Amino acid sequence: MAEELVIQGSALGKQFGENVIAVEDANFTIPRGSFISLVGPSGCGKSTLLRLISGLIEKSGGDLLVRNAEVVGPRSDIGMMFQKAVLLDWRTSIENVLLPDEIRGTIDTDAKKRAWDHLQLVGLKDFEFSFPRQLSGGMQQRVALARLLQTGADIMLLDEPFGALDEFTRERLNDELLRIVEGPDITTIFVTHNIQEAIYLADQVFVMTPRPGRIAAQIEIDLPTPRNIDMTTTPEFNNYVQQVRDVLAGHLDGQPL
Amino acid sequence: MSNDQEASVSNIELAADYKGTLGGAVLRHTIIFFVIMFIWEMANRTGFSNPLLLPRPTDIVASIWKIYVTQGNVWYHLWVTFKEAMVGCFIGCVIGIGLAVAAVLSDTFRQFLKPYIIIVEATPRIALGPIFVTWFGFGMSSKVALAALVCFFAPFVNTITGLLGVEEESYELFRSLGATRRQVFWKLMIPTALPTMNAGLKLAVGSAFGGALVAEFISAQAGMGILMARYTMSLNMPSAFAGLLSITLYGFILFRIMEIIDKRVLYWLSDDLMAKKSVKKETKIRGELGL
Amino acid sequence: MSDIGSDGVLAGVKELSPIQKLAMHGLVFLIIFGGWEVGARLGYVNELILPAPTSIAYRLYEMFFVTGSIYWHYIITMYEATMGFIIGVSIGMGLAITAAISPVFRRYWAPYAVVFNVTPGIAVTPFIIAWFGFGWSSKIALAALVCFFPPFINTLTGLLHIDKDATELFRSLGSTKKQFFWKCQIPSALPIIIAGLKLAMTGALIGTIVAQFFSASEGVGILMQRFAFRLNMDGSFAALIVMSLMGLSLFTLMEYMDYKVLYWRRHSRMEEVGSKRKRKWFAENGDFSA
Repeated sequence: MAEELVIQGSALGKQFGENVIAVEDANFTIPRGSFISLVGPSGCGKSTLLRLISGLIEKSGGDLLVRNAEVVGPRSDIGMMFQKAVLLDWRTSIENVLLPDEIRGTIDTDAKKRAWDHLQLVGLKDFEFSFPRQLSGGMQQRVALARLLQTGADIMLLDEPFGALDEFTRERLNDELLRIVEGPDITTIFVTHNIQEAIYLADQVFVMTPRPGRIAAQIEIDLPTPRNIDMTTTPEFNNYVQQVRDVLAGHLDGQPL
Repeated sequence: MSNDQEASVSNIELAADYKGTLGGAVLRHTIIFFVIMFIWEMANRTGFSNPLLLPRPTDIVASIWKIYVTQGNVWYHLWVTFKEAMVGCFIGCVIGIGLAVAAVLSDTFRQFLKPYIIIVEATPRIALGPIFVTWFGFGMSSKVALAALVCFFAPFVNTITGLLGVEEESYELFRSLGATRRQVFWKLMIPTALPTMNAGLKLAVGSAFGGALVAEFISAQAGMGILMARYTMSLNMPSAFAGLLSITLYGFILFRIMEIIDKRVLYWLSDDLMAKKSVKKETKIRGELGL
Repeated sequence: MSDIGSDGVLAGVKELSPIQKLAMHGLVFLIIFGGWEVGARLGYVNELILPAPTSIAYRLYEMFFVTGSIYWHYIITMYEATMGFIIGVSIGMGLAITAAISPVFRRYWAPYAVVFNVTPGIAVTPFIIAWFGFGWSSKIALAALVCFFPPFINTLTGLLHIDKDATELFRSLGSTKKQFFWKCQIPSALPIIIAGLKLAMTGALIGTIVAQFFSASEGVGILMQRFAFRLNMDGSFAALIVMSLMGLSLFTLMEYMDYKVLYWRRHSRMEEVGSKRKRKWFAENGDFSA
């Protein structure tokens, strides 16, 4: 079934201006329902690749297919989440979650009910009517996650979504994210610069290296699911960490960071 | 455009660090005030300062009583100046915000505008007073025009700053949701810019008053500017001071009103208003969802 | 500084080359002023209301190069504005520093600061004239009065709003109050202080001109008012342009100061100052890497 390969890139490239090559010759296939981590240092093009897939920016070369169609712009089956929660300060949590429906003009009691349920799902019971400034950073990201669910998108692009949070909150949110996106329907691409996090979450890790931005390795993560935090101390896990480190080290030696 | 770095008294909480109770602070301030007034009065009575130039506090109080109650002539002049300043301020703000929105939405227009903005900023705009009086005559319209010209710039610059201050990630969110330009403008750009825009409007109110007063100095039949000018010219300094104090008082009232409006509109920046709003919205949505 | 020309917000901006930009601005300028000129010449625009650009230009030429009548007015106005600026800024910053150092002073001065904030400085013009007379001292006094508030409030804000961590760092290093003031408070406050000075510069010019309107025998302000009241509109527009030039030159001066003083906020300046300091360091201490 063609549906099985949701996202396909071949010789995909993106250049900014005359000589900044953000992404070069990216080849990949992403199966439906999988969880992909993009890991690499700053400036390796991982955010650019994510934005190419989302349709926010245009590619400069190669092919990029989502559900067998060229990406020409933002589409409703793709949702995004950012490092900042990007909540509108003047709206309560539930109104922020309802934003996608408001923009599409599909706001009705049913949508409101779903928004309510999504807030319960991300653990924000009793905070439905708080304003963003009344919430902690972790809770703000939970609202953003609920808003992402509200879009109904089954391809989720997450750009270092918990990168600004403390370690403990981040671990908890990662586990909740896994619980929410698990199953054969939702395809997730997760950008991070944290190697452990990338491996812990993903079925497959794309290691990216800078100047020019390339996918240097695609590593299958063959750890049992569902994941739990104890796995991060196993030899297999550390083996994967070492693999990613080796790929990055091979590229970064001698380069000033 | 250096406007974005102008601080104002309200955000520095000058008075916030009083010690002890509020009543005690007020009492101390009042005592100090009366001590200063007493020294001033005594300096005047003993001939250390010239009462013709710096009138006695008691004379000023008497003049306040006179121009507000026994003669009652100040009301009319206050009303004239208030009307000129407010109409001018309204026109100036509409023009300023309109230009700013056009400049932000159209890159071409912004490019056209750029060199002229610097010239307009550097020109002392109040200098157009005599020209406006010649153009629009000695009546109200020349005062309105000068007030509008003097005050349009702060809302203009602040609106541009505010609208351009929307973060890239917010645009990306809206675009990824497939929002139209209109939706981006009304649901994202305008609310994001509101705090900065309001700050610009606050500045505009003050400068509109200044513009109206200056136009009145140049030539007028009525208004606080000409009233004070007549008093000082005839060396009736106590009455002139009473007029100046009126301007201060009305300036202060306007300033407070603007701050209250500011707080109401920008409810998401105030803890207690957020709490109130939450409760209201909760009852509404809960009712709708039958929860 | 809000950058008016910053990146287009709604995507898809076409960048023009500098020459294209210049050509575009030139064209727009020509269309506006050409239309105005033609309108005035053909009588569509009343010369008594809006004189033709060439008439204004001719009056400017006359003022500067034929009669030379403008120079004295120019100099006296600039002198009044500059003196007012210096006095106003000194008072404003002096009060601010006192208020920053002494909480007691801050507490008792606060209500009066509010009074100054809500009263338009130019409302005091008639008093200033009555006190200081019709000569240049009244212009200087009004300029000082109009311009003192922005440096006051900006300096105070800058000095008080110091990063809490920076305060703690200095305390942990055992710095004295004086060291903290000069090495931390003043440099951190400089950007906002300079923003206040820029506002003050405009304020000083405005104060001078308004005082001249009210009563004066010399200065560009009174010159313009005389022209306007005699319906000599090209003359008064020429005077307006002279005031614009004054404003622009003072504005440029302030921008230059900003550029020189706040070197750590511009990448190009950082490189320049950095390499200068490197040379100085090597000259004083020798090259450690050699």
